[in-house]
Amino acid sequence: MADGELGPLPAGRHGFTREQVAHNQRERLIAGLATAVAGKGYRAVTITDITKQARVSRRVFYENFEGKEECFLAAFEVVVGHIQELAMEAGGPSDSWPERAVASAAAVLRFFAEEPDLARLCLVESQAAGPVVAARFHETVSGVVPYLEQGRGERPEAQNLPPTTEDSTLGALVLLASRKVVAGEAEQLEEVLPDFAEFILAPYIGAEAASRIARPQAA
Amino acid sequence: MRALPGKASRQPPGPEPVSRAASADDQRRRILEATADLVAEQGFAETTIEQIVRQAKVGYATFYKHYADKEEAFLALLDAALERTAYVVEEAYDREDGPWPDKVGAGLGALLKIAAEHPGVARACLVEAPTAGPEAAARHEAMLKRFAPLLRPGRELNPRADKLPASLEETLAGGVLWVINQRLMAGEAAKLRALLPEALEFLLRPYVGEEVAAREAGGAEAIGG
Repeated sequence: MADGELGPLPAGRHGFTREQVAHNQRERLIAGLATAVAGKGYRAVTITDITKQARVSRRVFYENFEGKEECFLAAFEVVVGHIQELAMEAGGPSDSWPERAVASAAAVLRFFAEEPDLARLCLVESQAAGPVVAARFHETVSGVVPYLEQGRGERPEAQNLPPTTEDSTLGALVLLASRKVVAGEAEQLEEVLPDFAEFILAPYIGAEAASRIARPQAA
Repeated sequence: MRALPGKASRQPPGPEPVSRAASADDQRRRILEATADLVAEQGFAETTIEQIVRQAKVGYATFYKHYADKEEAFLALLDAALERTAYVVEEAYDREDGPWPDKVGAGLGALLKIAAEHPGVARACLVEAPTAGPEAAARHEAMLKRFAPLLRPGRELNPRADKLPASLEETLAGGVLWVINQRLMAGEAAKLRALLPEALEFLLRPYVGEEVAAREAGGAEAIGG
């Protein structure tokens, strides 16, 4: 997602339709916001910072977005959409639920480790960008609940888990990951996969089975 | 009424006057309460000093005598709330004479109770603190660190304790704060105390195993927090 490398749109006859140009401008504004936020944080970023990065005019910005918050939300959705794809595509078709869950967690953590700026946008800035964005952030995390709930089918005992099990588990891990990003340790997020995997699986398949799957090398 | 000889010097001279210190405390308390209410209601970014002084019924000069800006007032609120919450939770934990799971239940019960009783402050601390800049976010971090030592003794109950990640305590505390946060965002502060059994089960499970954790949670439910 190195969209920051995009050059300015060539002037004159580039053969794009108006929609294509508009779409491209919108994407560049989104990429521009991501770069600007990585540089100085959401709160300090101005519309000028974004349009400078995107190399489009203020008028084009306001044709696409009402303001900074809407642009941030658009960027957030793009990154989240990408992460969702990675999580869905992870693992093989014949994998069991625990294997798929671990593969998804691994894919998400790898993405954050490889893209620390986007990890910050998603996990830290989204919590610091005001109540509307923070609510969207919480909704997004809650969107993962149904996937975890599938784990309740793994064992009879798992059906009696308290209703907030998924929310507590996800919240715990999201906070842990965002604290690592704040501490400047985003690149190390892949290393915590065994801890994450064990924490996710244990309620559903039991502590010992979770440990076996999460730490195969230790077994 | 005459004071007994020798005691006169120890008697207060008439009714206690409103001391300067007491009135300054009162001003600060009113400013922080107003800040909590406004931040909870409309968010930190939208809250202005004008609104704070109006709601606190103090003058601008009084506000600026105590705080340089609204950030400073909000940080003071977070510090006071964190101190108070940590005190209440630690006190409930220490006062409980039972085994460790009971102590955790007592601490957790106190946490849910104080959040339910002061939803505005709780919301300001949990929902708004991470959004109000790095200093405020650091308070959130301090809160997690503060609760970790109460959970750590659980490791002694786990035969696989050496395999538990070092971050487990803060991770668990984060999970509970997350769910409290969710309830507050949904305007459901009144339902917070009902979370006790399941949040307790969540906190205990990694240490004592699922069966014991579920039994303890059932016990907490029977007692009704």
